[in-house]
Amino acid sequence: MSGNKAVVGVFSYLDDVANVIEMAKEKGLEYRGYSPFPHHILEEVATPERSPVRFISLFGAVSGLIFGFTIAIMMSLDWPIRTSAKDIVSIPGFVVIGYECTILFGAIFTLLAMFHFAKVPDLLRKVGYDPRFSHDKFGLVISCSASEVDQIAEQLKQGGAEEVEVRDGL
Amino acid sequence: MDNGHSKEIQQVEYSTVNNIVLKMLEAPTTGWYLLLFTCISAAVIGFVCFTHQLLYGMGVAGINNPIAWGVYITNFVFWVGIAHSGTLISAVLYLFRAKFRMPIYRLAEAMTVFAVMTAGLFPIIHVGRPWFAYWLMPYPNERMLWPNFRSPLLWDVFAVSTYFTVSALFFVVGLIPDIAAARDKAKTKFRKVLYTVTSLGWNGNLRAWKHYESAYLIFAALATPLVVSVHSVVSWDFAVSIVPGWHATIFPPYFVAGAIFSGVAMVITLIIPLRKIYSLEPLIRPEHFDAMSKLILLTSGVVTYAYLTEFYVAWWSNNPFERYQFWFRPFGDFKLAFWGMAFCNCMAPLTLWYKPLRTNIAYLFVLSIIINIGMWLERFNIIFTSLAREYVPYAWGGYNFSWIEAGITVGAFGWFGMWMVLFIKFFPAVAITEIKMIMPPKLRNAEAGH
Repeated sequence: MSGNKAVVGVFSYLDDVANVIEMAKEKGLEYRGYSPFPHHILEEVATPERSPVRFISLFGAVSGLIFGFTIAIMMSLDWPIRTSAKDIVSIPGFVVIGYECTILFGAIFTLLAMFHFAKVPDLLRKVGYDPRFSHDKFGLVISCSASEVDQIAEQLKQGGAEEVEVRDGL
Repeated sequence: MDNGHSKEIQQVEYSTVNNIVLKMLEAPTTGWYLLLFTCISAAVIGFVCFTHQLLYGMGVAGINNPIAWGVYITNFVFWVGIAHSGTLISAVLYLFRAKFRMPIYRLAEAMTVFAVMTAGLFPIIHVGRPWFAYWLMPYPNERMLWPNFRSPLLWDVFAVSTYFTVSALFFVVGLIPDIAAARDKAKTKFRKVLYTVTSLGWNGNLRAWKHYESAYLIFAALATPLVVSVHSVVSWDFAVSIVPGWHATIFPPYFVAGAIFSGVAMVITLIIPLRKIYSLEPLIRPEHFDAMSKLILLTSGVVTYAYLTEFYVAWWSNNPFERYQFWFRPFGDFKLAFWGMAFCNCMAPLTLWYKPLRTNIAYLFVLSIIINIGMWLERFNIIFTSLAREYVPYAWGGYNFSWIEAGITVGAFGWFGMWMVLFIKFFPAVAITEIKMIMPPKLRNAEAGH
């Protein structure tokens, strides 16, 4: 966040926080919203763009597919013992290995992508975080300069914030 | 607004959900310690028996020639089956937006992870020289030996290890926001540090939720094919061979349906006492039991149909070995296991057609145990009868159980129970976030009557 102050608003109503986010976006203010659970109303307002996680998952899945078939084929050729009259390179049998590796790699890459884009692990709490945001309240932290604090605090109150607090920004 | 739930769950406040679930994490009672002690004692019995087997060799188990796959592989298939429904409830029902999954899926996922951890022990116990079990993995070695990728046993290694990894990741990702909620209410320093580290510092900002939701959906999509694949691959351990009674194309769907059947029954067995002890009645409601009962009824029907099909195909094939095998099952040496299986899996669940029984908690608890006994007997039937009566009468055989096998089987239940008991005391066993997601959102405009 760019400003040296952070105005924190605590909300009970989901539509209130959505409206204030809309206002902050219109004014070009830098903000961070918190919610105890994901909801499409907040998503449409705050982060309408689609998450890129799916591309990383696809990349992982395709890599897994290639890896699975590659190890099965290469290792069978490297140790060529014919069993049960099957071909050394028995593609139908190797489908299982390719299939499992597709899912395994896809899942691992999805996890890494989520960690990367959601910025976790993040053991240092963000300015403005309140433990109630994981329970029953919604939160909005707006970054601003010291001169804008009063104006933004007033707008948060008008927008339905039950509590407004000013903290030092990041 | 009807979210597929009764009015009671819709009227619960967000904070009530946190309070009810996080109350489970409060200081353990004597009862909890007793339960943990019982589970650890059972696990120790299993460990002692396994140590005895290591010291004196596989001869102390009842495994013999021809029944080389005895109780251990029966237990392996049983526990993989138990593991199965967790992913069904968490992933498949998530994709289908089945809201009845929300209060129960966390426990089902935990059950999946711990059941796979239990199942994974049995091939290692069974191989006789467990210190060489790593030979199953394809790793570079100086003799340039590689495992046989055409063998269903190696497919199993990949299928079960992938299933475990993906289920564990799915489980952990689902837990992260709820551990963060536990962190914010933690009363002791130990718990605060534990939850801060395990929640990875999650703070529920909207951007993080965005990527979390996307990743969770992809996890569900990736885990769904595993629901079908893992027990299909386990079934191929049998079906790819040419043993009478095993060599059947019906095996994969038959095993998958059986696994869901037993897994849902196990979820009911676990959730009923938990619901009572921790007063989860406002969250886990009769309609959830009704939905699970319907799933049991459906999968029981599929399993019964598969049993009948096996007999029909054996008769229709006109193959004397197949025909003899399916005479041997109901009338041979192991007939008690067969009729026990038929009663537990085919007849007892039929009572669920009667609606009041689908929400009768005490009845469901007893029935779920009956079903799990039946499913263990099903695996017993498949393995023992087919191996006891293969092609050459000279090679036919019988089986004597040993106390070592019984001890290791008891130990497996103790091992599984130990992890479950620890889990429910240290981590949220009911999904806080997802229950909030199915509740009507708190809107000022809605309250103002707009």
